[in-house]
Parts: sequence; C-alpha cells; structure tokens
Amino acid sequence: MTDDTLKRWICLGCGFSYDEALGLPEHGLPPGTRWRDIADDWVCPDCGTPKARFEMIEIPYAEGQPRAA
Amino acid sequence: MRNSFVLHADERGYNKILSTGATASYVGGHPDAFITRFSSFNFGEYQDGRKGFGRIRVFGDEAFYHPGCSYSMHPHHNFIICAFVLEGRLTHINTLGGLEELGPGDYYAFSAGSGGLHEELNRSAEPMRAIYLWLLPDQLYLPPSYTRGHFDAAAGTNRITPLIGNDAGPVKISQDARVSRLVADGPGTFRYRPRSAGHGVYAFAIDGTLHCEGVTLKRRDSTGIWGAEEIVYETGRGDTDVLLVETIM
Repeated sequence: MTDDTLKRWICLGCGFSYDEALGLPEHGLPPGTRWRDIADDWVCPDCGTPKARFEMIEIPYAEGQPRAA
Repeated sequence: MRNSFVLHADERGYNKILSTGATASYVGGHPDAFITRFSSFNFGEYQDGRKGFGRIRVFGDEAFYHPGCSYSMHPHHNFIICAFVLEGRLTHINTLGGLEELGPGDYYAFSAGSGGLHEELNRSAEPMRAIYLWLLPDQLYLPPSYTRGHFDAAAGTNRITPLIGNDAGPVKISQDARVSRLVADGPGTFRYRPRSAGHGVYAFAIDGTLHCEGVTLKRRDSTGIWGAEEIVYETGRGDTDVLLVETIM
C-alpha cells in the first residue's frame, strides 16, 4: 500500500520547508504539487541547495503556522 | 536493542572553504581567510552511511582563519543552530538584534524558526575554533530565539554539566534533546542514563581519551549509542573534554 498523504520536505542547507499541500505559488508550484513532480534540477529558493538534499519530515507546525495557509 | 557506531577523527568529512572564487559570497575575509570544517554529519551528505543521528543533522568541528573570516550573513528557517567556542573569539550577529562576542566556554542556541539570518565572524588574527551543531526542531516555524550560555570548566570538572535542553540546562530549545559537557582532569567513571530506550547519545571527544563500550576514543573521535538504559563513559589519564548530545531517535 502506498502512502498517498501530502508530505513536507526540509532543506538541509538552510531549513526552508516545502509543503506539498501549500506548494510555492510565488515560485510557480501550485498547492498540491507533489515533490516527485518537481524537476530534479530545482533548488532551494532561499539558499540554492539542490532538491536531492531535502529530507522528508513529519514535524508539525507551530501554533498559528503556516501563516500562508 | 542496544546499537552503536564509532566515527574516528580521520573518517569525518572535510571541507576547506575559501573566501575567494566560487565561495567568496559565502565566506568573508577576502582574500586570505578560509574555514576548515570536519563534519561528523553534514547537510545530508552521508558519513559512513549516516545522514545524521536522531534529530542532529550537522555536527561540524570548524576553524576560522585570518581576520574577517566569516560565514557571511545568510538566512535560515527552523533549524536550531548551536555553537560551542573552543578557542579564539567568535562574533555572532543575528536578525533578532544580537551582536555578541563569545570566547572559550561560551555557547549559544539560535533557533531560526519562522526565519532569521546570522553571521559568524572571527575578527582576530588568532584562529577561532568552534563546534557547530544543528538540530531539527519539534515544530516548524516557531518564533525565532537566541540564548547564550557559558560553561565554566573549573566548576564543571569531573562531572557531566547540562548546557542545552528542552527541560534541563540554562539554554532552552524546542526539541527532545539535551547537550552536556563532560570535563575530567583524570581517570573517572561517568554514568549517563538516556531518557528512554528511544533516545541515543552522540559523544564527541573534543580532547583527551574516552573509553566507552570497549572502544577507546581519542581527540576528535566520536561514538553514537542508542537503545541503552545506561551508558558508561570512562575518562583516561590527563585532561578529557567531551560534548554529549542526547536526542530522540
């Protein structure tokens, strides 16, 4: 059985996170964009770390976060 | 089940980062300055099959050479970044308004949370040596925080002294983790009881000799142990200085 829930990923270079549920509309990634559907040569918008050096995480948001949601 | 690994000093990752060329915007102090970094764990680049230990993602044994040598101001989110100064003077600047000079025994925890920038700078001609530790937080986008602490080696000899933790120690962080320092001036036996079998302890020998689980660690060697009810550390002859990082696995 595959786990199809939306996931979060964190940049190991700087801590920026990508949430599949939120996407990054300001960077052309609509909400719901799966991590696997993002180009392999995509890099962290904050620090330039390559996609391959993001790690999937299951850390909850702090109260009141994410503010964009 | 009890598990462990040993990482010898010469098995760690190594980078020499110049203040010229491709890394000039990253490292300040142009043109002579440079940073050396020995990494037990580093940015997901695997060391001996490990991308980290529990919530640890970076453990760097770093030195900043020549005046102006720095990691230039750069952004972070989420990571809890800690520095433990071993030698020289570190100027730490952050967007919470902090402008701090730290010397040997001083340390800080900077939780980047919902966003913060920092610069790490050596203004002196003497090298600055520090351990940099990055931990994942237990919640994303917390309010950023910065707390400074000082380890008094004279008062803290022949015992395990808590430095950072979510429950104990003078510096609080939002993660199920604790950082302690073990300094001894001769042979001694020190028992460490992790919070649970689900916790592990990464022990890094800053200096001296440490015996643990039948293994002898020398300067800059380290060992990670998890699933243990108790861990026994035995210090060798002379001065021993160890950083202990306990984390939920």
